[in-house]
Amino acid sequence: MRRSVWWIRPLLAVPAIVTAAVVVAAFTGGPVSVVDGPADPEQVLRGRQLVLEHACSLCHGSFDPGQEGWVAGMMRPDQEFLIGPFRTRPRNLTPDNVTGIGRFSERQIFNALRYGLRPGETADVEITATTPGEGNFPINPKYLAPPMPWPAWRHMSDQDLWAIAAYLKHGVAPVSHKVEDSEGPPDFWASAYTPEEIGTLPAAAFPTAHETEPPAGVDRAQVLRGRQVAIQHDCGGCHGGATNPAADGWLAGITDSSGAFPAAACGPDAGGKPCLWMRPRNLTPDDATGTGRYTDRQIFNALRYGLRPSNATDVEIAADRSNFPMEPDYLGLGMPWVAWRHMPDQDLWALVAYLKHGLRPVTNEVEASDAPPDRWASEYTVEKIGPYPATPFPTTYEVKP
Amino acid sequence: MADRSSGPHTVEVTLTAGRARVSLVPGVETDAYAYNGMVPGPTLEVREGDRLIVHLKNELPEPTTVHWHGLHIPWHADGSPFHPIPPGGQADFDFVIPEGTAGTYWYHPHPHHLTRDQVAKGLFGAIVVRAADDPLPPLTEKLLILTDGRFLPDGSVDLPPLTSPEGRVDFENGWEGDLLFVNGQLTPTIAIRSGEVQRWRVVNASASRVYRLAIPGQRLLHVGSDGGLFERPVDTTEVVLSNSERVELLVRGTGAPGDTAVLQALPYDRYIPQTRPADWEETRTLLTLAYANDPPLEPVTLPATLRPVGPMYTATATVTRVMTLTQGFINGKTMDLARVDQTAALGATEIWTIENLVGMDHPFHLHGYRFQVIDVNGVPVTYRRWEDTVNVPKHETVRIIVRFDDYSGKWMFHCHILDHEVNGMMGVLEVK
Repeated sequence: MRRSVWWIRPLLAVPAIVTAAVVVAAFTGGPVSVVDGPADPEQVLRGRQLVLEHACSLCHGSFDPGQEGWVAGMMRPDQEFLIGPFRTRPRNLTPDNVTGIGRFSERQIFNALRYGLRPGETADVEITATTPGEGNFPINPKYLAPPMPWPAWRHMSDQDLWAIAAYLKHGVAPVSHKVEDSEGPPDFWASAYTPEEIGTLPAAAFPTAHETEPPAGVDRAQVLRGRQVAIQHDCGGCHGGATNPAADGWLAGITDSSGAFPAAACGPDAGGKPCLWMRPRNLTPDDATGTGRYTDRQIFNALRYGLRPSNATDVEIAADRSNFPMEPDYLGLGMPWVAWRHMPDQDLWALVAYLKHGLRPVTNEVEASDAPPDRWASEYTVEKIGPYPATPFPTTYEVKP
Repeated sequence: MADRSSGPHTVEVTLTAGRARVSLVPGVETDAYAYNGMVPGPTLEVREGDRLIVHLKNELPEPTTVHWHGLHIPWHADGSPFHPIPPGGQADFDFVIPEGTAGTYWYHPHPHHLTRDQVAKGLFGAIVVRAADDPLPPLTEKLLILTDGRFLPDGSVDLPPLTSPEGRVDFENGWEGDLLFVNGQLTPTIAIRSGEVQRWRVVNASASRVYRLAIPGQRLLHVGSDGGLFERPVDTTEVVLSNSERVELLVRGTGAPGDTAVLQALPYDRYIPQTRPADWEETRTLLTLAYANDPPLEPVTLPATLRPVGPMYTATATVTRVMTLTQGFINGKTMDLARVDQTAALGATEIWTIENLVGMDHPFHLHGYRFQVIDVNGVPVTYRRWEDTVNVPKHETVRIIVRFDDYSGKWMFHCHILDHEVNGMMGVLEVK
């Protein structure tokens, strides 16, 4: 199964050849870490929520905090990414001192999420500028390797980024699991992370040329919140425009086959396994080719339950799932709804409001993604993706601060 | 060089650090820096207990210092960045070589931000401290100072600015050159006789190159490290020598008369993937060992034991510290001469856990005090030895035990990849 490749392509001028797959492998727990300060339990819980809904563990481990491998890093060689000639590898995010992030300060983790700076190669200092050499920003910044979607994560609030750091440092049990270093170019990806490529921080003001003021009667604040959610969750990483609402093709779907990617390792390198292609769709509210043809509820159900809006009933899913489709037609594996579903209702509705009322419609018909005969149902069992809501805190792989 | 001293237990010399025009690369002259006009600088030979007096004249166009690398001497004589000698200035060093410290040491500049360039331009030399009761029989001795260099076509030392792509790679890997020198010479020849045993003292004075030394077809007897001889010889096929480290090797002439052998630098992957050189897997030849045609010598009897290396008991440690090494930082910080990073009590025994959190080796050097390695990744070392530098390989953890004897002061601890050191991968330990 493939996970979390939706943000690779926009970072690179050439189509990325990506191999990735997911299986939660068995491994053993490791030594106890040193905790470097008191942690606020509320902040840690907030951080956990953000880690869940931002899909951290889809690359860095398992799906649910109750599953082995939670944020402990990639477990198998086929979970590597191949970015051009470079192999990049999701690291161990548990607070193990030697193999994880135990020795990095919360500030170093914050700087990684806000500025994309590798914690092992960046000073433990407060950064007050984004120009190299100024305000403690390194003269030669060394960035995290793609596909780490820090250009999206950086748009989160300070408070949220600190909460993620607090959770990883104080809410997760250390696991000794060494992940081999990622490869990369000698400039540590600096040329891939220019404002032209990833947009500005903060993002371009609303509305850009691709956006529109919501009509009267629509809650503007909700639309703006939805825009934040879209940027912070890197929707544009696959659906167009990266994290920059001013970029051409913002959320308008792929325009040629270079934007498509296989759902799992396939082809000659994967024993001749046939490729199922993911084709990120047009999310603008165009009636014929975009989300204009779906109701708000159908889009909500896509984000919360992974149900393909074109083939889903327009009903509120009951808490006991009594009206959940008998043979659900799920979104393809490239779409990380298993993480997005953990967002609170209000954020999902805000995202829906932004897509429907904050974007200008663009006509761009994208061919449907490939799907196996079971419409991915066997990939989305509770055993594989964990329960919704997530297993309560703390699980076996977590600790109370 | 001239010993100006009058007494039998005093060595008094003058060292002048200045510009020199010397031929390092055949066929071209280089504007170098040199001690007394020589690259390497003159070798200082002293005995344990000797008083060494050095008058250092700085005729360079910039500040310098001389650090007596590995010697246990008072802080004011340490030659650290705290005591720069201005251009045209002079400093007088006067200290006693402690008993029990016979071994191979070296001296080099240590001015803040300038060390890499000054060493790369030729400022380095060896110190040999002899014991009155050396356990080894008299053997032919060879001192091998290993350096590497990179030169522009006009012969000048290639030191690109930090802002250039090449400078950036140097910043990452440390400055490495394609030319490998032994005592300033390219692939020199050492004569040996069949059956002869030679005692080699090898110094790694390279800014960043780590040497994995081997003589194909021969085994080596590894008898000493930074701080002198081991308790027993260690028979091995290769020795890794990281920056600023020294080894003593017994090279046994096991070849036949007329044979040749080579001392090689085998590939050693100390690099992060992003800047690993394309040719890192090449084996390089450092020197040729030429066997004389003379008939073999009678075998030399080598002692089974050398000298005691006193144990340091971990139970006596009163303080433990963790030093994390990342790319350019110690404990997340860069060097600030105005800041004291660690404070320790004079006379205290401490255990330092040095954790390398990144994918590049970092040789960790502590000024002023020798130490013993306890374990590497929790695996105890098998024989005791004195060190002043220990290589901490990528993503590994080394524990050392050290006692802050005799001298208070503000001592440096740093990565001895000189590019890392000059860019701040260094801290200050105050012992008081």
